[in-house]
Amino acid sequence: MKLEENKYFKTVVKDAWPYTVGAILLALFNITLLIVRGSPWGISGVLLYWGAKIYKALGGPLQNWAFYSNPANLKGVETPFFSHAGSLMILGIIIGAFFASLAASQFKIRKIKTYRQVIAAVLGGLLMGYATRVALGCNIGGFFSAVASFSLHGWVFGVFVMVGAWIGSKLLVKFFM
Amino acid sequence: MAEYRLDCFGEACPVPLLKAQKKLADLKVGDLLIVEVDHSCAIKNVPEWARKEGHNVEIEEIGDGEWEIYIQKTK
Repeated sequence: MKLEENKYFKTVVKDAWPYTVGAILLALFNITLLIVRGSPWGISGVLLYWGAKIYKALGGPLQNWAFYSNPANLKGVETPFFSHAGSLMILGIIIGAFFASLAASQFKIRKIKTYRQVIAAVLGGLLMGYATRVALGCNIGGFFSAVASFSLHGWVFGVFVMVGAWIGSKLLVKFFM
Repeated sequence: MAEYRLDCFGEACPVPLLKAQKKLADLKVGDLLIVEVDHSCAIKNVPEWARKEGHNVEIEEIGDGEWEIYIQKTK
């Protein structure tokens, strides 16, 4: 029998997992993370440090920057990449996702179809990056980890994410369809 | 019984779903719409929507990370 026809291979590797399985695993891993690391999952705060590291490497003066004059904010930039738990987690996500799609033979480098996609991606990235800083988190740190920590701000974040998603989908249909 | 192809390669969610919804509305009952996608979440949300609407749906994996979603309009 070919591997592709094995029902366990199909359920575990090939097909998408049900949402409930994903939710339970995310909850368990986040609890484990909180116990081991002392703080829950976050993404955008780490990307901020990556951006600052690149800026610094290119000769950008971080010391003149009010945000990084706070030692707590500067610490994330100065911690080496492989000693920084948050950075390693993002690396793990990318490697894990890569092998998951490879194992399911679903890995594909997608072509850029139109310039509109480039514009949409750049605009979307800038908006997300800016917004995660003023909101102090993305859908992971600001919503997922916040709600799991019984913090009210996660629910407020969630409501406004829906408002934003509604406006975003209207803009998408209007300009990019 | 016409057959239509919708090229959604390179399009991320929710664009394939929105395009399929728009296209299917123009089709006649019995027509077949083939949506070509390479975004794995599209093989979840496009069939989910089409089945909920009561259409006949089948998914064919045509290559690494490429699928064709067959939707036959039933009403």
